[in-house]
Parts: sequence; structure tokens; C-alpha cells
Amino acid sequence: MEEKIKNDFEKIIENSKFSNKDIELKRDFLNKFIVSGFPNKKLENWKFSDLNQIIKKNIGDLSFYTNYSIPNKLNPSIYIDGLEHNKIVFINGRIEKIDFKYEEKDKIQISDQFELKKDTKVTNSLINLNNAFANKYFKIVIKKNYSIRKPLVIYHTTNNINSKNINLRLDFVLEKNSSLKIVDIFNDQSEKNFINVFYNFELNQDSILKNYKIDQIENNNIKYSFNNIVQQENSVSETFILSSGSNFIKNEINCDLIGKYSSAFINGIFSLKQKKHHEIKTNINHLIDNTKSYQLIKSVLENESKAVYQGKIFVDSKAQKTDGYQLSKAILLNETTEFNAKPELEIYADDVKCSHGSASGSLNDDAIFYLMSRGLNYTEAKKLLINGFLLEVVEKITDSQIKNLIKNMIGLKE
Amino acid sequence: MLKINNLNAKIKNKSILKDFKLEINPGEVHAIMGPNGSGKSTLSNILSGKKGYDVSGEILFENKNLFKLETEERAHEGIFLAFQYPLEIPGVNTNIFLKTSLNAIKKARGEKELDALEFLNLVKKKAKELKFEEEKLNRQLNVGFSGGEKKKNEILQMSILQPKLSILDETDSGLDIDALRIVADGVNSLRKKDNSFLIITHYQRLLDYIKPDYVHVLINGKIMKSGGPELAIELEKKGYESYN
Amino acid sequence: MKKEIENLKEYKYGFTTDVENIRAPKGLNEDTIKFISEIKKEPKWMLEWRLKAFERLKKLKEPNWQKPKYPKIDYQDLYYYSAPKNASSKPKDIKDLDPKILETYKKLGIPLEEQKRLNGIAVDAVFDSVSVATTFKEKLNDVGVIFCSISEAIQKHPNLVKKYLGSVIPITDHYFATLNSAVFTDGSFVYIPEGVRCPMELSTYFRINASQTGQFERTLIIADKGSYVSYLEGCTAPMRDENQLHAANVELIALDDAEIKYSTVQNWYPGDEDGKGGIYNFVTKRGLCKGTNSKISWTQVETGSAITWKYPSCILKGDNSIGEFYSIAITNNHQKADTGTKMIHLGKNTKSKIISKGISAGLSDMTYRGLVDISSKANNSSNYTQCDSLLMGNKCGAHTVPYIKNKNSKSNVAHEATTSKISEDQLHYCQQRGLNSEEAVGLIVNGFCKEVLQQLPMEFAVEAQKLVGISLEGSVG
Ligand SMILES: Nc1ncnc2c1ncn2[C@@H]1O[C@H](COP(=O)(O)OP(=O)(O)OP(=O)(O)O)[C@@H](O)[C@H]1O
Ligand SMILES: [Mg+2]
Repeated sequence: MEEKIKNDFEKIIENSKFSNKDIELKRDFLNKFIVSGFPNKKLENWKFSDLNQIIKKNIGDLSFYTNYSIPNKLNPSIYIDGLEHNKIVFINGRIEKIDFKYEEKDKIQISDQFELKKDTKVTNSLINLNNAFANKYFKIVIKKNYSIRKPLVIYHTTNNINSKNINLRLDFVLEKNSSLKIVDIFNDQSEKNFINVFYNFELNQDSILKNYKIDQIENNNIKYSFNNIVQQENSVSETFILSSGSNFIKNEINCDLIGKYSSAFINGIFSLKQKKHHEIKTNINHLIDNTKSYQLIKSVLENESKAVYQGKIFVDSKAQKTDGYQLSKAILLNETTEFNAKPELEIYADDVKCSHGSASGSLNDDAIFYLMSRGLNYTEAKKLLINGFLLEVVEKITDSQIKNLIKNMIGLKE
Repeated sequence: MLKINNLNAKIKNKSILKDFKLEINPGEVHAIMGPNGSGKSTLSNILSGKKGYDVSGEILFENKNLFKLETEERAHEGIFLAFQYPLEIPGVNTNIFLKTSLNAIKKARGEKELDALEFLNLVKKKAKELKFEEEKLNRQLNVGFSGGEKKKNEILQMSILQPKLSILDETDSGLDIDALRIVADGVNSLRKKDNSFLIITHYQRLLDYIKPDYVHVLINGKIMKSGGPELAIELEKKGYESYN
Repeated sequence: MKKEIENLKEYKYGFTTDVENIRAPKGLNEDTIKFISEIKKEPKWMLEWRLKAFERLKKLKEPNWQKPKYPKIDYQDLYYYSAPKNASSKPKDIKDLDPKILETYKKLGIPLEEQKRLNGIAVDAVFDSVSVATTFKEKLNDVGVIFCSISEAIQKHPNLVKKYLGSVIPITDHYFATLNSAVFTDGSFVYIPEGVRCPMELSTYFRINASQTGQFERTLIIADKGSYVSYLEGCTAPMRDENQLHAANVELIALDDAEIKYSTVQNWYPGDEDGKGGIYNFVTKRGLCKGTNSKISWTQVETGSAITWKYPSCILKGDNSIGEFYSIAITNNHQKADTGTKMIHLGKNTKSKIISKGISAGLSDMTYRGLVDISSKANNSSNYTQCDSLLMGNKCGAHTVPYIKNKNSKSNVAHEATTSKISEDQLHYCQQRGLNSEEAVGLIVNGFCKEVLQQLPMEFAVEAQKLVGISLEGSVG
């Protein structure tokens, strides 16, 4: 792989207009990646999902080269119907459209004039890979006191590519008292690629981020999505993950609560109907007093599917009065399914309220019996129970428009 | 016995008791009535030595400065608080708790501690008097007790510990008529010439059973009026309106 | 020695006994292993077994994934065998035992002499590397129970030992287990024959006395069909500035309908207030529920050691078998503990239960690490895990790391964990009733631990309760 990746890298550098400083940094990131390679199960973080193996088995040799100078053709038929929204469209990792037509011009600032930074605080080999190969990345700033009027939908489309590694990155800054609503949606028309997404969110005082991530359309790609969220005083982040469509996807959310009274909510659903392997990993770092976090993850697994939830709550010794809660529940519908969990608490302050719970098992037979005694057949009873099980998570979505959209997607519309 | 002078109490910069004054002599029963949030529980908490309040002023108990005593030392001196909301302590057996508590107090007073048998006999007797099912004493402290049972448990503890000053914070709330009478009996049997009571209540009803010597009306952290038992009856009729 | 006695107030088992020792030459090598095997007059197969483990050991690396890190141990600078001179061949009669050793056990509250023995408890006393006495042997013999040192079992019951030794913890298992297999010196052996309910508690009392000595003992308990045994181990060591290594292996085997209850009260010297000295307690304990309807239950009260690192585990192989793990772990000052369990569900209808109570105070660090693994064949199995931590102060840490793997749709796994502190209101309530803050904390903490304390045999529950209080002394205020 080493030679291939180096060649692909040089080709990208040739065809792009990076500054010399950027090129140097990118080369640095590349070398770091080459040393570690794709993460494997020897790493604690990847214990349950050996990405190296998964890529080997499902893709084989990857190509890292993308020519970002050639535009791709937009296909408007993928846009969400009946929802007025702003758009960012990625096709094969290249931004083809940024459109904030519903917003006041001077309240959203978009630029691609950012140089890479050497020392990103959070790091792993896939972020190194991302930094080495991603095209110029965009920074989007929501100005002070501005609340976005319509949601921003980010479309990730792929087409006509195969065995490729796609890397992309976006940075968001929410200035004081601003708010942003994102629907991050995958729409793949290609197979067997490894897509590596990296978002950075900087939430200033009193700002609100709602981040709805949807992987619902069936596809054979392998994905890693890393969202890093840093939160100042009294800011709120809400993340929702629907994990369903891809062959493999790992959603990782890292959230640093560095300002008092900041809070982070993460809710997720695994709905896996076929042989797939999905993971959610959450890291919540309570780094100052009076912060709050909440995670609720529910899974419904069928047919040889495997879901993994790793959730860590870290409480610094300064973080008194932390309130941290985490719950994961899974229903295993077939004998061949598997649910793995690693709920983790690491706590250094004594005046805290932290708990986690995890439960996995079969559908509740008593409930099935009860429903059947009221006249439902088995399939109906099962469906009713599963919908009720998942509904609890969807109901946590605070944006009613998007809540309905997601209910429609997973057939929970009553 | 108890002398409170110009007691001021604040919590999180909110002033709750303001220049509060009260004197209780040996053998006297005082009742305090007042609207929700007027500071009654705050007063009883401060008397028992609960931390977290900013206090100034003076509280003397048998001429000792209470502010210089820890919570448990006050208990050793003979102050007992029947909590408005008795706490649940998981895993701790009620009997064992009672015994530990009684012997800690006896030890501090230089009295002989009770052995297991003596203690059991004492508890049996008291539980019977208070119609408290003995079986419950083998459960975890207040865990799974009904509201009324928790209150009765407080009175049982009082009658076992034989305090000099008992503060009853709304012990009557949540009790049925029979339990109310039992609680009153418990109090009355402890009523001797050196034992005093401070009874916090919203209802005149309890005072039918325990005749107070004085009734005080606490409004907004201050005693607005004091009088005899007739004041309670008047309050029941007219409410606190006229004091605002 | 004198100085050490002055410190007894804090760790009351910190004294040393002046006895002359026979030691193997320092260092970990084939000669040391041969020395051990020879002095114990072991048969050839045993030596070969040890050497095989040693070969394996050379290829293994010391693990480093655990949370408590420790300075590198120089395995060549340790004594692997140390025994009181006149106990190296175990005296037939307790009367013949060195009075100093008798005195030691008396001080520890375990009198070995006939007249003074604890009622209803048979004791195997292990002093450094050897078993020095086993009580009530004859009475146990009457019902066919074999309770002796592992060295004696190797001589007298070679078939049982050959069949089961290493059958639960293979010599290839992991660094410390393999090290133990190569150099283990003594430990207890128990065999309960078919259908026998062992008439008394069996117990081993481990004592590390000599300095610069690692203790590597090996315990093997076999409960044959339909039998029952309750076994308890206790441990103490003198106070020394150096860290001492204790790397034991314990293997339990329960056949059809058999039940083994294994309790540990671990009170090795934890080091002083500044974290100097103390035992490294790196122990491998594993039970195999081999037969159907078998049951293995681990209960542990871990209050001592500078570093505790152990995961008493159950392999639930037989259908309908049950595994239980009840644990209290307390760390104070600079102590570190990384402990928990593994429940491996292989058979159908297997059940496991984990109750873990961790308390950290001072500058200490506590980790619960556990694995629940339900295999795809383990239909209708279930696990329940409850994992609570209590922190006292904000200079200590509590870490909960459960790994949960469920590959069976007909099985249920439920895990709950909380972290909290003793509430001000609870303290106030107790203090209002006359208890001082230490008494109040002791009471509340014992309440917190109650579910686990209840699992201990009566005789030890009281002792354990006291230990819980003592271990936390000075951590409030
Ligand atoms: N920990 C606290 N933090 C903030 N305010 C408090 C706290 N404790 C009490 N207060 C406030 O102090 C006031 C007095 O409370 P207190 O409990 O003494 O009232 P009370 O007279 O006992 O009322 P009730 O009849 O409802 O029992 C109330 O306004 C209450 O909200
Ligand atoms: Mg009140």
C-alpha cells in the first residue's frame, strides 16, 4: 500500500493549488498515517470493529487519488422533497454546491482560505489520512445572535467510483448566541469505497447545534464519520444518528464540555436488516463544573448484522456537579445477530451524578403475548413493539420538522 | 434551655431567617406555624447543625453556644430533630442504625452502652407502644417505608433516644388519625418537666392532642405573633392573610 | 523490626516473623525451577510441566493494557522459593511446627493448635512458599474430602492433579499465569467427592513474610458431581518499603450439579500513606462450570495491596450452569485496583450475576473491568450486572469498563452502573442521631456494600465489615 498511497498523494498535490506550508503539513499527516495504517482491533477504540480487516475483505486495494479540479454533474433528484433547506452538496468528496439561499447574506460567512494546523487536539490515524488527502476544506461561520432559518442539508453523494478512498472535511463556528441545524445525509450510487468524513464544531457561548446524521440508503460502502464538538458556556449540542444503510459505518462523536452549563445530547438508532456491521462511539468529556450529557442508543438487529456501541463519559476532577447519563438497548431478532457494548465511566470528581445502563436481548415475549391476546398477529405485534422501541429515540429530536422527516424514513409515521 | 437571639440565615444569598428570636424553657412546648417557605425547616435544620447556611446571631442550648458544636455533638447534648422528609439509607438495617445511634449518644454522655439483648428489649417495648411493626425494623432504614411509616419511625427513634429538646418538623403531615394519636402519645409520654418540644405544623389538629404552651406565627423568616393555644385556632380559621 | 511494630496501629498485620529461611538462589531460570521441583520431591511429569510453562514464558510479554501502571519488575532480582527452615518438609503434627510460626498465625487470628482451632473451619496455612499446616484433616478424611497442600496432592493424588491442573488456566494463558505455572511453590488442593456436602468451611491463609520474595501459589479445587464446598482465603503481609509480587493461580472445577463458593478477604499490605511499599497482587482466578447445573460463586473483599489486578472468572460450559461474582474493592491513599470478572456463557440456559461495589478515597484509583460474553450457542442465557462506585474526594478516580458481547438473540444481558458520593443529607441524618462523621461514613458504606457482605460466610462477614471501616479511616473530614 505504501508506494501506491505515496504516488496517489503526489498526484493530488500536482493537480491542486495547496500552499507550500499546507503541502508540507499534508505530507506530515501522510507519513503519520503510513506509520499506523488503518486501525485494527488491537487498538482499544477499534476492538469491536477491525477496520483494516473490513477494508481488506470488502474492498481490497484502495486508490487514494481524486482529481478535484474536474466538477461533477449535480443531480437534483436527490434533494429532499417538501423541506425548504440550504444545501451543501459533495459529490465524490468534492464540494459542488454551497447554497444558503434562505439566510441573510452577511450572517453566514463561508471561506476556504484556511491553512491546516499541525496540532489538532483530537487525533487518530483516520484524521491524519483525512488531513493528508482532503481537498481544501471550508469553514462556515454563523454570526453572532443569528439563528439559521432553514436547516442546512449536507448531501454526500458518490457515483461512478470504485475502491476509492474519499476524504472530506468541514469546520463550523457558531458564534455567540447563534444556532445551526444540520441534516447530514448519505446518498451513495457507488460501491466499495471508503469514505472518511471529519467535521469540527466550535460552539461559542449560548449557541445551539442540532446535528442530524442519516445513513439510510442501502449501499456497499465503508464509512467513518468523526465529529468533534467543543462547547463553551451554556451551549447545547444535539446529535442524532440514524445508522442503517451502509455496509459498514462507524460514527464517532467527541464532545468537550469546556464551558459551564453546557450540555450535549446524543441519540442514536441502529436499524440493521442485513449483514452489516455498524458502530457508534461517543466520548463525552466533562471538563468543568455544572455540565450535562445524555446518550440514548437503541438497536434493532436482524440477519447476521452486528452493532457496537462504545460510550465513554469522562469527568475531570474540576467537573463537580456533572450530570451524565447513558443508556443503550438492543433487540436481537435473529440468532445470527450480535450486539456489543462498552459503556465506560472514568470519573475523578466526587459530587457527580453519572450512570450508564445497557441491555440487550430478544423481544419481550410477554408483550408479544399481550398484543396477540388483543387480536394482533405475530408480525403486527412485533412491528408495533419495535416501532415503540425506536420511537422513544426519535421523539428526542427537538426539531419537529426533521423529526417527522426521520419518522417517515424509518416508517414510524402513525 | 434554648435561646435564639437575632438569628439571621441565608442560603445562596437569599435571606431566609431574619433577626429571629425564640426562647424555650425546660418543660415547655412551643408550636410554630407558618406558610410554606416561611423558613420553618430552615430553622430546624440550623438547630440540628446542617451545613450550607450562612448564619449569624446566637443560639444557646443550656448556655452552650450551639454554633461551636458539630451535628453529632448537638445530638449528644440532647437535641433531636424529627425530619420533615426522613431520609432513606439503602443497605443499612434500621435496628442496627438505632443501636449504633443510641450507644453513640450513651457513650458521649458517659453512660453504659446497651448490649444487643438490652437494646432489643427496649426497641420491642417502644415499638409496641407506638404500634410500629417490629418486622419493619429489620428492613433497610426508611427504604420502602410509606410516608406515614417514616414519620412513625422518627418518633420511635425519639422515644428511644430520650432527647431533652425534640424538634418535630411537620411530623403530623401524612399521618392518619390513629397514627396521629400514637405520635401524640409518644410525645406526651416524653413530656416531663425538663424535656421541651418545638413542634412545627400546619394543622391545629395535632395541637388538640399535644397542648402547646406557646404558639408562634412565622412569616417570611420572622415571628409575627406569639400567643397561647388559642392562636392556633384563630390561624386555622383566618389563615395567614392578615399578617402579610 | 521494632519500627515496623510501632506502625502496627495502621496496618495491624504488618509485623515480620524472625525465622530462618531456606531460599532458592535469586533469579528466574531453569535451575530455580529445578530447585523448587527437587526440594518438593516432585515427580518428573511435574517438572516437565513447569519447564514447558517456562519455555512458553520466554516468548510472552508482560501485559500493559491495565490501568494501574507499575515500575518494571526485575524478575531476576527475586527469590522464587523461601521457606522456614524446619518447615520445608511439612511437619506431620502441628505440635512439631516452629513455635514462631504458630505464634504468627495466632497473632493473625488463626490459631492452628488443636484446642484453639476455629470451629467449623479447616485451615491450610501457607507461609511464604510453603504450606505449613492443615487443620481438621482427619475429620475431613472421614467424609472423603481431600484438603491438603498442592505439594502433597502432587505426591498423593497425582491422577487428580494431572487431570485438572492447568485445565482451566492453561500454561499458555498469559504472562503471570504462565509465570506461576513455572514457579508455583505451594497452595491448597481440595477434592470433594461425588454427592458430598463438605461439612465445614475450608480456608487457606496466605502469609508473605520473607523480603524480596515473590509468592506464587496455586490452588486447585475440584467439586465432583453433586458436591458442595465453601472455601475462603485470607491474605496478609508485613509492611516493607519494597513492593512484593504475589502472582497466584486459582482453578476451580465444578462437575454436574456441584457448587463451589469461593470467598476472598484480601488484606495484603497496601503500602504506606505516600504509596511506598505494598504488595502487587496479580492473580489469575478462573472457574469452570464443567457439568450441567453446576455453580461457581466468587465473593471478594479487596482492601489491601498497592496494586490489585484480578478478574475471577467463570466459564459456563455446562448447560444450566450459574456463575456469580460479588465484589467490594476499596482503595485509599495511593492504592490502585483494576478488578472485575469475566462471564463466558457457552452452555444453554446459563446465568450469571455480577455485583460490584467500588469505593475510592484519597489519591487512589479504582477500575471495574468486566466481560460478559454470550456465545451464539448459549440459548436462553442471561446476565445481570450492577456496578456501583462511590468516590470520596476529588483526588481519586473511579473507572467502569464493562465489555458486553451478546451473540444470542434468545439471551438477555442487562448492565447498570452508577457513580455517586455519600450525600450530605445522609451524613447529616446520621450525625443528627449522634454518630460522628467516620461512624456515619462507615455505616453508609457498609450499607452500600451490603449485597456483597451478605454473601460471605458468617464468620468472616463481621471481620470484613470492620475491614471496610478501617480501610477508609481518615478519608472523610
Ligand atoms: N438549598 C436551598 N437552596 C435555595 N433555597 C432554599 C434552599 N433550602 C430552602 N430554600 C428556600 O428557603 C425558603 C424556606 O424554606 P423552608 O424549607 O425553611 O420552608 P418551610 O417553612 O419549612 O416550608 P414548608 O411548610 O413547605 O415545609 C424557601 O423559599 C425555600 O425555597
Ligand atoms: Mg418545611
